[in-house]
Amino acid sequence: MSEALDAQMMAAHEAHDTRALVRLYTQAADSSNDVDAACFYLTHAYVFALESGAPETRMLRARLMEYGRETDVTDPGF
Amino acid sequence: MPAEITDLSSVRKSVEQANGLPNAHYIDPAVFEEEKQALLYSQWAGLAVAADVPEPGDAVPISFLGTPLLLLRDKAGDVRVFQNICRHRGMILVEEPKKIRGAIRCPYHSWCYSTKGELVSTPHVGGPGHNTHEAIERENLGLFEVRSHIWRDVVWVNLSGDAPAFEDAMADLIERWVEFDKPLYHGGTDSKFELEVDTNWKLAVENYCESYHLPWVHPGLNSYSRLEDHYNIEKPGQYSGQGTLVYRQLKSDAGDMFPDFEEVGEKWNEQAEYIAIYPNVLLGVHRDHAFAIILEPKGLDKTVEHIHLYYSVPKTSDELRRTNTAMWKTVFEEDIFVVEGMQRGRHADMFDGGRFSPVMDSPTHCFHDWVAGQVDAHRFKSRAAE
Repeated sequence: MSEALDAQMMAAHEAHDTRALVRLYTQAADSSNDVDAACFYLTHAYVFALESGAPETRMLRARLMEYGRETDVTDPGF
Repeated sequence: MPAEITDLSSVRKSVEQANGLPNAHYIDPAVFEEEKQALLYSQWAGLAVAADVPEPGDAVPISFLGTPLLLLRDKAGDVRVFQNICRHRGMILVEEPKKIRGAIRCPYHSWCYSTKGELVSTPHVGGPGHNTHEAIERENLGLFEVRSHIWRDVVWVNLSGDAPAFEDAMADLIERWVEFDKPLYHGGTDSKFELEVDTNWKLAVENYCESYHLPWVHPGLNSYSRLEDHYNIEKPGQYSGQGTLVYRQLKSDAGDMFPDFEEVGEKWNEQAEYIAIYPNVLLGVHRDHAFAIILEPKGLDKTVEHIHLYYSVPKTSDELRRTNTAMWKTVFEEDIFVVEGMQRGRHADMFDGGRFSPVMDSPTHCFHDWVAGQVDAHRFKSRAAE
């Protein structure tokens, strides 16, 4: 992860800016070449999306499911 | 702890012969712990009102006798009560009232729960980026839900989980007030207030359910609601209180009044009732408004009274509603010195629980008899389990 992205993430955490956290962790996942690392970041993006009811929730869960990192349910439970 | 801390045999005699509950039931921490189980956890106790969580996703953490609970309105609109802890490490989930927009996320390791209590995410539980593990069966790890029921907007909870069904436990009172089984509309922010009182919660019940004190403590009522216009209400083992036959509606200078509950019936034209539903809920009904008081036992001698006023329609006159709130606030504040005075009086070691007026105090005796019966039954069960 680039230093700039890391700094933006820290700032978003500090500000409890969930929208930014979803976006930045997704960006980190997209820029990662390693599946485990990508799924680590995707997980964070997904959790913050899930918590905030963001529209990206289903898409992020679907991406994790593709890698076998989430359960195969059509509805995330709410 | 000894098996029997207090002798309750004299409490269970007829009102003419009985003494009230011994001092220890108001000042002894060991008895408070016993009563917590016998009177509050094992019954249908009042926790809050549904109006505290008006919209889906609204969540309010509440500590009930030390048990962390979460009052929440789920996405489908149903009010639920959970233990406010994560199934992972027992961390408190929600610290402050908030809106759950998606899921409840534990602030520790971010396990997430739906507003129905389902465990929906377990990040990194199988290692970094691996969010499932065969040992972690999400379907078996939802939030612990507490048995709850909404009636007259009060959120009743049965923490022990083994009380009879609410409709059965309250069948008699539900039938008694069937004419008031109409939609209730909370008056909003100007129709609720809290009173913090230095008393054991039971003294607030005892004072509420008798009319004997009215002419002395609430002299403002004398002009139209005389003592002889009141009657006792007693349902042993369930509730007791008082009624009036001369209820007078609040009227503005312009002659406006609150609208009646629809088709409430002629019987209630000038009749109103005030009933303590054991253990800790005090309700009042009138043709044009109602109130609910949840007594929150904060400790042996600390009680918070949560008072909520309700109307028959969503929109009522602001002025009239505020006047009504102020009127009731005055009445309930007038009671504070007596419940606090009786609490301090329980430290007089020669006090024997007192004697009741057989005519005027029977609703209070009815409550004491219930307390004694429940505590005795609890002690019997505890002994049997030893």
